[in-house]
Amino acid sequence: MEILAGLMQGFAVALQPANLLWCLVGVVLGTVVGIMPGLGPPATIAMLLPLTFLMNPAGAMIMLAGIYYGAKYGGSTTSILLNVPGESASVVTCLDGYQMARQGRAGAALGIAAIASFIAGTVGVLGLMLVAPPLAKVALSFSSPEYFALMALGLAMVVLLAGRSMVKALLAMLAGLWIAGIGTDLFSTTSRFTFGRMELLSGVDFVVVAIGVFAIAEVLANMEAREETRLLPVPKGLRNLLPTVQDLKDCRFAFANGSVVGFLIGVLPGAGSTIASFISYGLEKAVSRRRERFGTGVVEGVAAPEGVNNSETGGALVPLLTLGIPGSGTTAVLLAALVLWGFKPGPLFIPENPALFWGLVASMYIGNVMLLILNLPLVPAFAQVLRAPAFVLYPVILGISIVGVYSASGSLFDVALLAAFGLLGYVMRKLDYPAAPLILGLVLGGAMERALRQSLMMSEGSLSILVARPISAVMLSLALLILLIPLFTKVNAWRLRALDS
Amino acid sequence: MKEIAALAVMAFAGSFVEVAFAQGFQPTRPIEVVVHTGPGGGSDLLARAVALMVEKEKLLPVRMQVVNKTGGGAAVAAAYLAEKKGDPNTIGFFTGVWLTSPLTSAEARVSLKDLTPVVRLVLEPAVIAVKTDAPYKTLADFVAAARQHPGQLKQSGGSITSRDNVVRQLLQKHTGARWAFISFPGGGERMAALLGGHVNMMVIEPAEAGEHIRAGNIRVLAQVSDRRLSGFPDVPTLKEAGFDVPAVPQVRGVVAPPGIPKENVAYWEDVFLKLTRSNSWRKFLDDNQFEDGYQNAAELARFYDEFTDRMREILKDAGIKTVR
Repeated sequence: MEILAGLMQGFAVALQPANLLWCLVGVVLGTVVGIMPGLGPPATIAMLLPLTFLMNPAGAMIMLAGIYYGAKYGGSTTSILLNVPGESASVVTCLDGYQMARQGRAGAALGIAAIASFIAGTVGVLGLMLVAPPLAKVALSFSSPEYFALMALGLAMVVLLAGRSMVKALLAMLAGLWIAGIGTDLFSTTSRFTFGRMELLSGVDFVVVAIGVFAIAEVLANMEAREETRLLPVPKGLRNLLPTVQDLKDCRFAFANGSVVGFLIGVLPGAGSTIASFISYGLEKAVSRRRERFGTGVVEGVAAPEGVNNSETGGALVPLLTLGIPGSGTTAVLLAALVLWGFKPGPLFIPENPALFWGLVASMYIGNVMLLILNLPLVPAFAQVLRAPAFVLYPVILGISIVGVYSASGSLFDVALLAAFGLLGYVMRKLDYPAAPLILGLVLGGAMERALRQSLMMSEGSLSILVARPISAVMLSLALLILLIPLFTKVNAWRLRALDS
Repeated sequence: MKEIAALAVMAFAGSFVEVAFAQGFQPTRPIEVVVHTGPGGGSDLLARAVALMVEKEKLLPVRMQVVNKTGGGAAVAAAYLAEKKGDPNTIGFFTGVWLTSPLTSAEARVSLKDLTPVVRLVLEPAVIAVKTDAPYKTLADFVAAARQHPGQLKQSGGSITSRDNVVRQLLQKHTGARWAFISFPGGGERMAALLGGHVNMMVIEPAEAGEHIRAGNIRVLAQVSDRRLSGFPDVPTLKEAGFDVPAVPQVRGVVAPPGIPKENVAYWEDVFLKLTRSNSWRKFLDDNQFEDGYQNAAELARFYDEFTDRMREILKDAGIKTVR
């Protein structure tokens, strides 16, 4: 009842014409920022902060949050069309999204991404509204051993991302883990693998590696196959540009998976949406009946990660609003905005500012509807991009990649790194090494190492801390189970062969 | 050589502030303000808040534009400023890490001493907090417990060169007690570790602590400050609690690229002096529980040396290898 009253109050705030307008401005800006690789929501929100002083705080908060979740909608666009991840959380979307585009199903992929985003985004807000305070308490029981187990679970997904050769997948993952080790060690301030370069002190930016091994390598491989230079097929007719009923049916589980995994991992201050997107993709593949076709353009391989990164925003707002604890770059800037407007984010924020909280929640329902209405008609338009001939498209991909990397860091060194990782991606592709495990190792490596070392410092060096805690023990067992999947498949195949003969 | 030149410039500028300003330099282009943190980090927020206040108080004829040069502690931002040698329209916001990262990373070649000092602006005090349900009522209780169980109590914090660990090292040296320091990269994770009961103690910014005290989540044992903060009238300072260790504040201030004429330095000193006398500034300090740390360029240069010497000794005590 209390929630219903709060929500009524919230809609009264969010439906004021000015706030509706700010919501629209936010989600449109967010979509644009999401589409452009490199420029992310934290930088955009920071740039807009001075403007928000002229607005009332509710309108400003509604707009800034709109940028945050709107960017998650836009992030899939370049992943699917150009194999250029628009946001770090959209890297996984490249795996099946781009393959769908190559088969002439770009429209279906973009459409399913928008629908998954809408469903999961709405579920995320529901979660924020219904269970925020109790869930924040549960999230606090997560500490370094649990984070280590979560990362181990993520890393176990490598067996699901492997192509034909498990050894090659593991080697690629190890390379990713090594790259994650580059930079200044947090615990001892020792430099590792920096080769005397100051730019490497803070490590290698994940976006640089992802754009390199996906987008640049893709362009290089296509340029090499010169005689095959052909346009990507784009079917005629609006109907063929949208997801089919069968697509929607195939995604039933992915919608739920993305919504729940994204929200739950989003609530944890030390995880992040990139990790969540890998875990939901792995989960999707683990339970799928057509496991072997993942990576060749299956629609649920797009729906799960795209859902995740939208419900994650609802989750990430939970510790921010209930405890004043930011878990990511974007929520840190939102926290700063609240302070600058004169609020005191912390445990008493929601009880003392109910109108702002409920206004924000209501605006997020409205904003998600706006985003769906905004994004679905854009699908056919974006799909036309692929009609461009290769001699136009590939330079554009290179340009977008370089500008994206440069705009994220403002460093030419990162552009050089992009070229290097592009070459690495090309060589890996030639030798049939999968790129996804490399990215997985890179995403999880740093956080996993930190969590392990923190755990061991907490336990004074005893490894038992990792299995003595129930949540961590359960997750580690799950990880072990996933690692055994290929074994089960082999046993099953052997059994079937035995039955046949 | 550069250092000597810079010192000469500062000494000169310090004595002629008013005169130099009367005939001096005026920026003509928007001012590029370089910070070493990403959007939302401490320096970034201070720089953006200052840009807003400077605009509101009409202290500059042009806008201030924040540029984030992240990476390598502060190495990337410092190197960027060094490259801007002689550029009158660029300044940077520094913190203590600009002085400590060259001590521990061979790759961080540009130190604050290679840049032109302008002003010190802010001192950020801190408070020492435990969870409400912890058995420690005073800092002495905590230290006694740590002495009883060496290495078993834990403190969450940032990097080992951060102020959190400096406070720990000083307290450990003073008392002979030992407890563990667990590094977390993000402020949110540090706080979550304390609230979740995974660590026993944390050195925390007063403004952040304030809300958790009101909600009854944490208790403050002592403040890392020379004077009691307005928000914590009943909490003893380290000295009052019986721990005669220096109250190491986090410092923040302004530097300019090398090779800046003295009248430019004098101009900036004047702009920031006016800023620190404005009402917006006082409100800003109060909201954040910061202390006014204004020092002019000459004083700031002396502060560099004191700070660097103290940090070098603390790092040595902590068993951290210094490279310079």
